[in-house]
Formats: sequence, structure tokens, C-alpha cells
Amino acid sequence: MMRRSLLVLGIAAAISTQAQADITIAMAGPVTGPVAQYGDMQFTGAEMAIERINAAGGVNGEMLKGVKYDDACDPKQAVAVANQIVNDGVQYVVGHLCSSATQPASDIYAEEGVMMITAASTSPTITEQGYELVFRTIGLDSLQGPVAGRYIANTIQPKHMAIIHDKQQYGEGIATGVRETVKEAGIDVVLFEGITAGDKDFSALISKLKKENVDFVYYGGYHPELGLLLRQSRELGFDAPFMGPEGVGNPDISKIAGQASEGLYVTLPPAFENDPKNADLVEAFKAKQQDPSGPFVMPAYTAVELIADGIKGADSTDPEDVAEYLKANSFDTPIGKVEYDEKGDLKDFSFVVYNWHADGTKSEAAQ
Amino acid sequence: MEEILYFLQQVINGLTIGSTYALIAIGYTMVYGIIGMINFAHGEIYMIGTYVTFIVISALGMLGIANPFFLMGAALLVAVLVSCAYGFAVERVAYRPVRGSKRLIALISAIGMSIFLQNYMRLAQGSRDMAISSLIPGGWEFGIESFAVNLSYMQVIIFGVTLGCMLLLSTFISRSRLGRACRACSQDAGMARLLGINTDMIISMTFVIGAALAAVAGLLLGMYYGVVNPYIGFLAGLKAFTAAVLGGIGSIPGAMLGGLLLGVAEALTGGYLSTEYKDVVAFGLLILILLFRPSGILGKPEVEKI
Repeated sequence: MMRRSLLVLGIAAAISTQAQADITIAMAGPVTGPVAQYGDMQFTGAEMAIERINAAGGVNGEMLKGVKYDDACDPKQAVAVANQIVNDGVQYVVGHLCSSATQPASDIYAEEGVMMITAASTSPTITEQGYELVFRTIGLDSLQGPVAGRYIANTIQPKHMAIIHDKQQYGEGIATGVRETVKEAGIDVVLFEGITAGDKDFSALISKLKKENVDFVYYGGYHPELGLLLRQSRELGFDAPFMGPEGVGNPDISKIAGQASEGLYVTLPPAFENDPKNADLVEAFKAKQQDPSGPFVMPAYTAVELIADGIKGADSTDPEDVAEYLKANSFDTPIGKVEYDEKGDLKDFSFVVYNWHADGTKSEAAQ
Repeated sequence: MEEILYFLQQVINGLTIGSTYALIAIGYTMVYGIIGMINFAHGEIYMIGTYVTFIVISALGMLGIANPFFLMGAALLVAVLVSCAYGFAVERVAYRPVRGSKRLIALISAIGMSIFLQNYMRLAQGSRDMAISSLIPGGWEFGIESFAVNLSYMQVIIFGVTLGCMLLLSTFISRSRLGRACRACSQDAGMARLLGINTDMIISMTFVIGAALAAVAGLLLGMYYGVVNPYIGFLAGLKAFTAAVLGGIGSIPGAMLGGLLLGVAEALTGGYLSTEYKDVVAFGLLILILLFRPSGILGKPEVEKI
């Protein structure tokens, strides 16, 4: 009897959630693959937002439902995932994560009238295609590169600098931005070279860095390659400091590089979790034993919140109305005040230079 | 002087990476030599060998054992055993049932096996990079003020172990009874069977030996680079396959030569041109050699059997 009533309850619950889950938000990003931990950050943030919005009564009485889609940070798979999202009838996407995956997916969303807010893709070209429904809750490489470049030029002032990138949209884009900024400041870039993502042996490159007397290295790319690069550098007796963008800043780099990751410079979005305004939200993450400090957690949270606010404000679930509303208004969010320009980029977003430590923590770098 | 030292350093870098290409290439070349098919799942066996190494070293490390040579020996033993089991099973499951059919079918079966193993490891171990710290850090340094050549202990171990494995294998193939049976199978499997050689057993053995060498490569490279993920088998397999073709597929000394040549070519390109052109030069070299010597550097031209 007990079991039967439980079963009935379960069915009832299933039916009721289904009936209420009227607005589906696709969370697209890498669930698998070498950069899956960034996907986790994004999912953690987005899921928390969905949960809190639903707890507060949902959006215009309708509940939000998050569904994960795995693009493995692969451009080909991102296209397949985007098509699947369209076929599933989803109108709102939080994602994708890697710029090279976001770019091809955005073409499909634009064609099918799906709204996309990326919490992590920083490549400027994504919002330069003139799509009306593309937004982001993170800054651009064209902002991040100069921040890193200025820090190098003003604080580090290397004599022979090298810039290395992974030949991908994100890595090469940001590396080019850094090169332009430091060149303007008169820093000598002796080497600007690409490596292949997934490669394991960088000894030839490191020997070359040693020979050129390089005293500072900027790396545009993700942590698996930089981790190896750092580790092999120290083993081969090359001791110059390294710097990287937010794609290298997560505890896994310390796992890969160990002691060699100590003192690595990283540009990251500001630590939103330390903002007193977000104390309540940070508590909620901690209560679920989740880490709010990943660079994409708060931006992903904000992305969901913006979709909800947009639907409420526009009083319509049509992505075009929502997009119009988002561009016309400003919002107070966990990542600060959000205002959009015509392209769907944030009007104001800052990156901060941090020092990474071998135990996986970070501290603000000395100016 | 600085230029000479720099050149030397790049050659050392190239020989190290080339040694491991050679170890993996042996697996391709032996299987091809005997049954004339390409075992595309071979790179995955190498990946599995690396994972087993990591698991053994971490487990023993947790028990408080820190002697690097003991750790290495234990990891070698377990990795070779596990990889051999995989090599044996892969042949039984994916290749033996289709051995009599067309080549294309065997090829597709091999690629399927490779995808299966990769995803199976991904599910079992997760897709993130796993790392261990260096077991044998340090090395020798020599040179002048402006440039010092760095030769790490691990590089010496890699080169030494590879050379040792090659010598052992060559002796085995040329001197032992089983080795002779191998050569007989490679010349004419049908005839060998008529003469009372258990060809099924010889083919199984070929896969097992190839897997054992892949496990050795997995151990050495795992300890050298210190990271593993389920995708490393693909690129390593591709490079090793190139090395095997370069040296002459089917020829064991050819695989060794091809691997070293490929490694040194990559390092020198990275050192003097640009790392971006590393693969261009490596594969360009392959095309050139195949144009002028279609059977590879040490390969014998195929004689049409009547």
C-alpha cells in the first residue's frame, strides 16, 4: 500500500513538473573532453540560477527547465548539438563555451531564431556577425588581450618576450591582442609561434626559448597544453615566468604542472564571489558544496537570470522580443551592472591579473 | 659553439620522442608483416598502458612506497600484463572473425575497436587529464654560459629501454623457434600452416608482443610527460604509424629507424623553423620517401606471388 501511494505520488510529481516546465533552457558546453571542467562551471552556475528562479515562483508563473547538451568543445559536435537543440524546440541557449564551438553553433541559432547567451566565449568575431539574438555575459579577447599586454608592458617589462598560442580561435585571437598591445609599448617580441592542441612534447620549442634568452612567455590557449609546457620548461631548466588567459586558470593546471604552476600570471574575470552583494548566492553554492569561484560560474548564473528577466520584462517568450528588451534596459546582476550594446556585447567588463599558486588557489597580482 | 650545442639539444629532444614513436611503431609493423592489416586500435593499447602505469604508481604511492625504480618496475609488470590481455582480446574479438574477409572489413573493424576502447576508457576514467609528479627528476647539464644542453635522466632511460627492447625483439625474431615461425607466417601463412605451424597462435602472439611494447612506451611516456587522457592514443598512433611506413612497414629495424628519423625531423623543424611546421615537415618527409621508395627506407618491395 505504502509503495503504491509512493508510486502514485511519483507519477503525480512527474506529471506536474512536466506540466510546469514550460520554458526550456539548453545548457550547451563540454560535458566531456579535455576542457570539461569549464563546462562544469557553466552548468553549476546555470543550474543554480534555474533552481533559485523556480523557487521564487518561476517566470510569469512558468517554470524553467535546464537541459544539458554536450559539445565536447568540438566545432563539429557543436553543430550537431545546435541542430538537436533546434529540433527539440528549445528557444533559449546558455552556451556554448569554447569560442570555436560557439561560432558555428551561433549560425544555426541565428537561422532558427534561437537566443544564445554565452557565459564563456570571448572571441570578438562571435558578436560581429550581426546576429540579433547573440549575447554574452563575459568580456572579449579584445578587452582581455590589452589588459594582459598592459600589465606585461608596465609591470613586468620583459626584454625578450615570447608569445605562444594553440592555433585555435580563442588562443590565437587573444595572443594576437597581447602582441599588438606590447608592441605598441615597445616590448621586443622575439617569438610568436603556434603549437598543436593535444600535443605532448614541447622540448624543441622550449630549447628554442632558452636559446633566444626569452625572459617572459605569454600563452594563448587552454590549461592542458600550458600545464605541460610549464612542467617541461622547468625540467629543461627554463625558468622564465608564464602568463595566460582565463582558459588556463583552473586547479587542474596545478595538478598537471605541480610546483611549476606557482607564480603563473592569469587574467581572469574579477572574483565576483568576493563581492559582498553576492554573499547570499555564494552561501547557496557552498550549501550545495559547489565552488562559486570558477571564472564562468557567475556569468552563467547571470545568463539564465537575464533570460528570465528578459521574458518577464518583455512579457513574451519570443526570443526577438526578449532580445529587444535586453538591449534596451540595464540589469543589476551578480557580475555587476549589465548593459548591452547593439552587437550583444557587455558595455563594461573588466579582467584582473592574478597570480596562480601551486595549491590551485589564486591571489591578485602586484601592480 | 652555441649553435652546435643547440643542435645537439634538438637532436637529443628528437631522439627521445623518436624512441617512443619507434616502440609504438613496432606493433603496427609486426601485425602488418604477418597478416597484412593495420591495427588501428594499437594507439589505444598504448593509452591503456599509460593509464595502468598511473594507477599502479598512484596506488603504490598511497601505500607509502617511494623508491622510483621499484615503482617503475611494478608499473611495468602490471602495465605489460594488462596491455597484453587487451592485445590478445582485441585480436580475438575484432580481427580473427573477419580475417578471411576483405581488407576493408578488417580495417573498419579496427577503427571501430579504436573508437570503442577510447570511449570505454573515457567512461571508466573520466575525460580529464590525470597527472602524476615526476618520479625521476633532474638530469645532466653541460655547455657554456650562454646555452646549456639539458639531458634528463628520463630521456636517457627512454632511449636505453627502447634500444634494449629492439635488440631483444630482433634476437627473438631471428634466433628463437617462435621467431622462425613468425617469419614463416609472414612469408606465407598458408604454407606455414601446412607445415604444422599453429598460425592462429603466432598471430595472437604478434598482437601480444606489439601490445607489450606499446605498454612499455605508455610507461615511459607517461612518466616523462606526467599526464594522460583518453585521447592521447590517436595522435601517438598516427605518428607511430607514419614512422612504420617511413621505415618500411613490415620491417622491424625499419620501424626503429623511421621513428628516430621522424622524431629528429620534428625537433629540428621545431627548433629551426617553427613548431607550426613540425607536422608539415614530418608528413612531407613521408610523401617524399614514398615517392622515391614506395616500400619505405628499409622495406622490401613486395614480390607478386604466383
